[in-house]
Amino acid sequence: MADETLHNTLKVQRAMRDLTQADLAAMAGVTRRSVNAIEAGRMVPSVLLALKLARALGVTLETIFSLDGPATSTGNTQPS
Amino acid sequence: MTSTPDSTEMFLRFSRRSMFAMLVVVAVLGATAIALVLSPAGAVSRSVGRIGWMIPIAIVILVTATQGTLRGRRWSPDSPEVKLVMEDEFRRTNMLRAARIALIVVLVAEWPLALLFGFLTQLPTPRAAMVMAAATVTLGLLTQITLFLFFDRD
Repeated sequence: MADETLHNTLKVQRAMRDLTQADLAAMAGVTRRSVNAIEAGRMVPSVLLALKLARALGVTLETIFSLDGPATSTGNTQPS
Repeated sequence: MTSTPDSTEMFLRFSRRSMFAMLVVVAVLGATAIALVLSPAGAVSRSVGRIGWMIPIAIVILVTATQGTLRGRRWSPDSPEVKLVMEDEFRRTNMLRAARIALIVVLVAEWPLALLFGFLTQLPTPRAAMVMAAATVTLGLLTQITLFLFFDRD
C-alpha cells in the first residue's frame, strides 16, 4: 500500500476549460490555496472535496484522480 | 455561496497576516514573562515597569494595522468568504498537522526545560514551575503558529 500514490490531472482539466485556480476554487466552494495544494501534490483531498472538484469540472472522479502503484487485492473478489 | 475569488483571497491573506501578528505578540509576551520570572529585579523587569503601558497600545496598533488590510471589510463569522476560509480543508489539515507536531515538540522539550529551569538555574520551586509553564505555553504556541504558516504557504 505504501508504494501507491494518488495522481491527479486537475491542472490539465482546469487548463482545458481555461479556468484559473481562483475560478475553479470559487466554482467548487473551496479556496484557491486548496486547489493549488492538490495540483502540486501537497495535499490529498477528502472524498467530499474531490467530488466537489469533479462536479465543478463536470467530470467523474476517476477522470481527475487515479491511483498509481502495484495492484493489490481489495477483498471484493467473488468466491469461486 | 456568494463569495468572489478576490474577496476570498483578501480574507485568506488577512488570516495569514493575523497569524503573523499573533506570532509576534506571543513571542514578545512569552519572552517577557519568562524574563520576569527568571529575574524579577533584572533589566527586563525595570523596562517593563517603565514602558509596560506601551504593550497593550502596541497590540492595539498591530491589530488595527492588520484590520486595515481588509480595506473597510469586516471579519464577520457569518460572511460566506470567512466561512469558506475557516472551513477550508487545506487550512484545517495544516492546523491539525501543526498542532500534532507542536504537541510532540512540547512533550519532548519538557525534559530539557525541566533540567534548565529546575536544576541549572537553581530557582525556587514555585518560580521554576512558573517559568516552566510560561516556557511550555510559549514554545507550544510558537511552534504551532510557525508550522501552520509554513505548511499553509503557497
